Amino acid sequence: MKKIIALGFALTISIFSFAQDDLLDMVKDPNQKEPSKPVYATFKTTKIVSAQTIETVKKNNLDFRITHRFGNIYNSTLSNPLNDAAHNYFGIDNASDIRLSFDYGITDKLTIGIGRSKYREMYDGNVKWRFLTQTEDNKIPLSLCFYGDLGYTSMTTDNLYAGMVRPKTNEAHRFQYCSQLLIARKFNNWFSLQLIPSFVHRNFIKRQVNANNGKEDTNELFSLGIGGRIKLTKRVAIVADYFYNFSEFQTNNPMGYYNPLAVGFEIETGGHVFHVNFTNSVAILESSLLTTTQDSWLKGQIKLGFNISRWFAF
Amino acid sequence: MKKLLFAICSLLLFNSVSYAQLFKGKADASTISFFSKSPLEDIEATNKNVTAVLRTTTNDIQFAVPMISFKFPKPLMEEHFNENYVESTKYPTCIFKGKINETIDFSKDGEYPATVKGTLDLHGVTKEIQANGKIKVKGSEITITSEFKIKIADYKIQVPSLYVQNIAEVVDVKVNAILEPFVKK
Repeated sequence: MKKIIALGFALTISIFSFAQDDLLDMVKDPNQKEPSKPVYATFKTTKIVSAQTIETVKKNNLDFRITHRFGNIYNSTLSNPLNDAAHNYFGIDNASDIRLSFDYGITDKLTIGIGRSKYREMYDGNVKWRFLTQTEDNKIPLSLCFYGDLGYTSMTTDNLYAGMVRPKTNEAHRFQYCSQLLIARKFNNWFSLQLIPSFVHRNFIKRQVNANNGKEDTNELFSLGIGGRIKLTKRVAIVADYFYNFSEFQTNNPMGYYNPLAVGFEIETGGHVFHVNFTNSVAILESSLLTTTQDSWLKGQIKLGFNISRWFAF
Repeated sequence: MKKLLFAICSLLLFNSVSYAQLFKGKADASTISFFSKSPLEDIEATNKNVTAVLRTTTNDIQFAVPMISFKFPKPLMEEHFNENYVESTKYPTCIFKGKINETIDFSKDGEYPATVKGTLDLHGVTKEIQANGKIKVKGSEITITSEFKIKIADYKIQVPSLYVQNIAEVVDVKVNAILEPFVKK
């Protein structure tokens, strides 16, 4: 009998002392489930290097971006490439493309933007809608986003139809479009990966034929992009993206068409995000980027570039 | 046999009594906020997702603060706070466990000044802290308010030299919690 009482006491004391330690555990409601938390900061900004990311501009914020691509650092196809590199100061004297853009967050998930690029004097409007966000408990393993842009070139009519018997002119010839589905996953704190199925439509193209396989250039182009980020420190990351174009015209073309590849460093400093990058593509806007890359990494036709992003909160 | 029954009854009673002495923060009525004042920028963030518990018999007081629930005026600040400073995915919760030094009659309405001593577990670092505050008893409601300072370097939260002008070395923390008797569901 005494043993039982002793046991009872021991139990009482043990329960009491257990309870004493962690009041927070005692008041925890076992039936209440923690809500799924969204994964934040899959990428730092709205661009990997050339490609869009699933990140949108937050509500009532304005993202002002300056994107710049210099000329070729080196070009092994020229007769005196070393002199040419010195002549152009490794491409810094030339600007392949410059784009200024403003993106505004209507909601945390919906961004609209406008921009203007030097390459083909392109004005553009774009929209990005994040319709699925990855959660930390992996109930939603991926983030999904739609991106679309519409480009309008302001080239003179003479330039637009240069080198061809002028067809009946039409303002619609100036438009080009790109739609992308962005599929991203933040695997952990330092690694994020994204797939980018893309579709480009250009209203007007000059007739060109691939002399090797007889395929003509087409108004439509399908492309699959892949991009990612590896964080080196809390504020510095390596970023890269690559697009594989499904185009018979571009494949093995004597005129030289290549898939865009961009590699860069991302440095975050408070409200600014800087990119210093290297790429073989000339244009910045998606619908131009995928269709006009005629430079090759293997021939040294690499361009130094930078992206600067500055957020303003309203 | 009677003694066994007594033992079991006393055990049960003890258990339920220990719950009756527990007070838990009312949903959405407990906030913890912090202020960082610096030459370039004033930053303020508030957390409304705080769990506060007080046991009146032992003067034990505990707080659990999910770091990701701090709300900032600018979304970019929030992202940087979680990603660069407190590393919320690695250290999701800040926990304070302490004791009120004074003996307070929680059954009597009134306002009592109080001091608290305990440990603060933040960003993977546990440190002893002390804070002054007030405890207000009104009926079955207990309101706790306190203000204290935290030196962020103590918790290994690093501020790059570039932002020394933007982020204060010592931040002011404000606690405001309204507690009610805890009923186990």
